[in-house]
Order: sequence, then C-alpha cells, then structure tokens
Amino acid sequence: MSGIAAPDDAPTAAAMNDASLAASDGATHAVVLEGISKSFPVRRTWGEMLRHPLLTPRAPVLRNINLSVAEGEFFGLLGPNGAGKTTLFKMLATLVLPDAGTATVGGFDVVTESQKVRSVLAPVIADERSLYWRLTAYQNLELFAKLQGMKGAAVQARVKEVLDVVGLSDTAEKIVAAFSSGMKQRLLIARALVAQPRVLLLDEPTRSLDPISARGFRAFLREEISGRQGCTVLLATHSADEVLELCTRVAVLDHGRLLATGTTTSLARDLGEERYALFTRDATHPALAALVQRGVVGALTVRGSEDGWERVEMELTGGMEHASQVVATLVEQGVVIARFERVPLPLADLIDRIVRRGTEGAPNG
Amino acid sequence: MGKAIALIQASWRTQRSYRVSIVLSILSLGVTVLPVYFVSKALQPYAAASIANQGGNYFGFLVIGFIALIFVSTTVSSIPDAVGTGIGTGTLEALLSTRASIPSLLAGMVGYSFLWTAVKAVLFLALAMVLGMHLSIAASLSGIFILVLIVLAHIPFALIAASLVLAFRTTGQIPSIVMIASGLLGGVYWSMSAKIIPPWVHAIANWVPLAPGLRALRQTLLNGASLGSVMPDVMLLVGFIVMLNAIGFLAFVEALRYARRTGTLAQY
Repeated sequence: MSGIAAPDDAPTAAAMNDASLAASDGATHAVVLEGISKSFPVRRTWGEMLRHPLLTPRAPVLRNINLSVAEGEFFGLLGPNGAGKTTLFKMLATLVLPDAGTATVGGFDVVTESQKVRSVLAPVIADERSLYWRLTAYQNLELFAKLQGMKGAAVQARVKEVLDVVGLSDTAEKIVAAFSSGMKQRLLIARALVAQPRVLLLDEPTRSLDPISARGFRAFLREEISGRQGCTVLLATHSADEVLELCTRVAVLDHGRLLATGTTTSLARDLGEERYALFTRDATHPALAALVQRGVVGALTVRGSEDGWERVEMELTGGMEHASQVVATLVEQGVVIARFERVPLPLADLIDRIVRRGTEGAPNG
Repeated sequence: MGKAIALIQASWRTQRSYRVSIVLSILSLGVTVLPVYFVSKALQPYAAASIANQGGNYFGFLVIGFIALIFVSTTVSSIPDAVGTGIGTGTLEALLSTRASIPSLLAGMVGYSFLWTAVKAVLFLALAMVLGMHLSIAASLSGIFILVLIVLAHIPFALIAASLVLAFRTTGQIPSIVMIASGLLGGVYWSMSAKIIPPWVHAIANWVPLAPGLRALRQTLLNGASLGSVMPDVMLLVGFIVMLNAIGFLAFVEALRYARRTGTLAQY
C-alpha cells in the first residue's frame, strides 16, 4: 500500500489560463486576446430610472480574458448559455467594442484596424433571418462575394465552389424562403466561406442540422476548412461530438470569466477527477472501502452489473500510474477484477466541474 | 461603387419578386396625377397671380412640387428604414462584417429606393405632360442637378434619424417633421413669396431646404431659366449641404460606435 498517496491539489483556474497561454507560445497566433473586458448597460424599469436617474448600472459580460489561438488551430469555446461566447465572437468580428484590453486577429487590432480584421475573418454568428429570403441561394452568395471585393468571373467560380462544398448546388436557384432551417444554416456558413477567410468564427453551427447533416458538416470542417484550407476555426458549441471530433484545444467560459483552456483530456486530468470503472464480483470488498477511507480514490458508486460482474465507478487522480498502483493493491488484497477501464468524462460534466471550480475560486463581488 | 451596385441589384431582385406591389405602385401614379390635374385646373384662376414668376400654370407648379416632395420623402425615410430593418433582421450585422465601407453600404442599402423614386418621378412627369403640362426639356439637366442638391440637403436629416434608430430604436419623428415642414413651408402647394405669406412664416421657410430648392427647380424646369440665374438659391442649398452633412455623418458614426459599445447592432 505504501507508495499510493493522494496527489496534490489540482491547479487553480487562473494558473491553468496562464499555463495555456504559455503552452501556445512560439506558434504564430491567429487570434490573441489580452485583458479583454466588456460590460453592457443593465436595462432598468421606469421606476428605477426615476428613483436613480444618474445611475448607469452595467453587467460584466467578459472579464479580463487572456487567450491565444494558433494559426490553423481548431479551437472550441465552451460554456453555459450567457457565458459570453457570442459577445467574444462579436468582438472579434468588430461588431462589439471592448471596454478594456486588446484583441488582434491575424495581427490586426479589432478596434483600430477593423477593416483589415474583416478582410481576414468571417463570422457565422447571425441567424437565418440575416439572409435575403427573397433571393436565391446563388444570389445571396453572389451579393456577399461582391461585398467582399470579388469581381467578374471570380464571383461565379467562388460561389459555385462554395455551394458545392456545403451541398447546396442542386438548390442554388431556389429562393431562401423555401429552404429548411438546415439548408439556411448551410447557406450562412457558405456566406462566411465565400470570402476565403483565414479565421472562421462559428457560433453553434450545427444547431439546426439533423444528426447526419451535422456529421457531414463536421467532416467538411475537419477535411476542407481546417485541413485543405488551413483555416483557423473558433467554434462555440454545446455539442460534445463537435468538441471531441474537431477541437485541438478548448476554453471554458462562464459569466464572462475564462475558467480553463487546454485539451479536453488535459482539462479532465488537470481537474484531478478522472473516472474509472472496475468490474468485480464483490463491490463491498473491504479493500475498496479502505482505499476510499484513506482518500486514495473518491467515492465509489455501484452502477449495475453485467453477467454477474458489478460495475463500480470511482474517481481517481494521478493518471495511469496511480490507476495501475490501485489495481495492483486491490489484486494483492484479493479483489477479483475482470476489467478496469477509464470512463471518458462527459463534456457536460467537465464543463460543470470547471464552472463549479471557477465559481468556488472566484473572488467575491 | 461595385459593392453599392451589388446591394442595389439585390434590393431590385427582392422587390421584383413582389409583383403585385410593383404593379399597384405604378397604377397609383395615375390615380395621383388625375386629381392633381383637376384640382389644379379648378384653382388656376386663384393661384395664377402668385405663381406668375414660376411658370404661371398651377398644374405644372404642383407636379414639380410633388416630385421634389417624393424625393425628400425617399431621402428622409429610406436610410432610417433600411437601418431599422437591417437591425431587426440581422442583415446590418452581416453587412458590417464584410469588407465594404460604411458609405458604400449605406448607398447600396438605399440606392434602389432612389432609383425607384426616379422611375416613378419620370412616369409621373410623363403623365403630367400628356395632360398638358409644359416642361422646358432644355433645362432638364439643370433640373436634375438641382434635384440632386435637394436630396443631398436632406440626407443629414436621414442620417440623424438613422443614428437615433441605431442608438435608441426611434427616428425621433424626424422624417415626419421634415415632411410636414417641407410640405407646409417648402412651397410644394403654394408660393412662398414674401409678398404672399406673412413675413415671419417667410423667415421660417428660409430655413427649410426644400424652399430654395423648389424655387430654383421651378425656375429652370417651368421658366427655362439658366443655372446661373438661380445661383442664389443653388448656393443656399449648397450651404445647407456643407453645414448639415458634416453633422449628419458625425452623428451616424457616433451612433454606430455607440451601438458597437452597447452590443445592440442586432437587437431591435
């Protein structure tokens, strides 16, 4: 039993942020945020305005965000609703001005060089109402190709290419009003791609797509946008599939605070709460209880049984090394083990844990 | 320029899809011209003296007044309408995310309205000429130039109204106020000569850009006067343009900055 000890506390959220910035040093950065803060005026009732006419209360939406995304990286932005993801995207798209801090896209400042930022970045943050519903898909894209500065035959070629890429070639001459939500969503993405951006912002891009279209779209993002075009992609999403399939790194935002950045695996590990499943004949074996008592593993949970083998889930810190020591100890103590495996932490649980940890660690006020 | 044309083309394609609306809009011109014709004929004996130096024909006097007024109406309402609709649908945000500059976006968003107004004005004028209105064709280029000045002199009001829409989601009734003031004091329906209206009304009317504009427009189109002979009124219009446009553009840029600061570009 000696040699098995509870590992040190997991790093704080702030420390993780700093670490993530340091980790990406050396790479060429497509997006850099330094000390970005933003607050919006709070809507008040008539009564409140009459009682305190001079007060101008504001609600913080982004608080001192430091983040960098490398050129060509596929970066996920996670967090509950109201976390500040869309505001952050709008800021990068030069549609919202920061209160403090600096943000650069492709080396251009979003405030002082907004025109240059718009030449390298394309956002998909607006909803389908922002399309021209009485125009065809082709005409919508033709309009935006021209607004992006394309001329002549290049417009036609690019529009056809993009329509093909999003799978709307067959319906190019149909007016948008007759499109399904999924088709409109694909057209929004096509509209962003028409300018061949170096940085693409996608705010929940598959929310209106059926599972098969969403899978196809993810493959398109991975192979075409990220792979062939080498585009840097920032993706705000609630979909675990998207994050696990596409993102090289993720950041978790909550109430405007950046709580953590890293790969999902490293975040789960850094949070010190990896979950393992043990299949045994005797879930009540005293050796298991002893491990819990000594704090080597977290609380045990028996989750049903398979063919007479009980599935016991436990939280373990310290990675594979520590897990192997736990198995060795249990076998030594006579616990019959059929299987011992790591249970991937569901994305929702991971976000929830990061948010909870962030809330506990947040300064008052 | 190409970007503005692309937007105008998109607006035309959108409007073209509303076929009934286009047909009714053209038919309404005929419905408008006929009452103007008969009413002006009935009032000709009473109005003739007061408009003697502006063509002397009350029908022609009214037609030119109406045409100028519909251009003023298009000017003061199209920009705030386009901005308001753009905010409501989210197209404004989408347009502002492109590489197009703000002036080219604004020109493109309202360009179609102006072209359609021009088409309606030409049809209106043609119908009026069929009904006997006399127009100095030789002076038509001068007339178009003065009409452009009238539009430019009213753009600041549109920009201020659009700024209010951007910042506070209201036009502040500016288009209505401009239309009422232009209709009553601009000389659309009656002569604004100092000999006819009270001096204090005449003094106020001097601050309505349509008044000098219409005076010059009628002198050229109805009397065949040269541009040089209406230069005082033209210079007055230019004065309005120089003075007010700076304010209008400043207001719009500041309102856009305010909307970006408060994050309300897509919240109506």
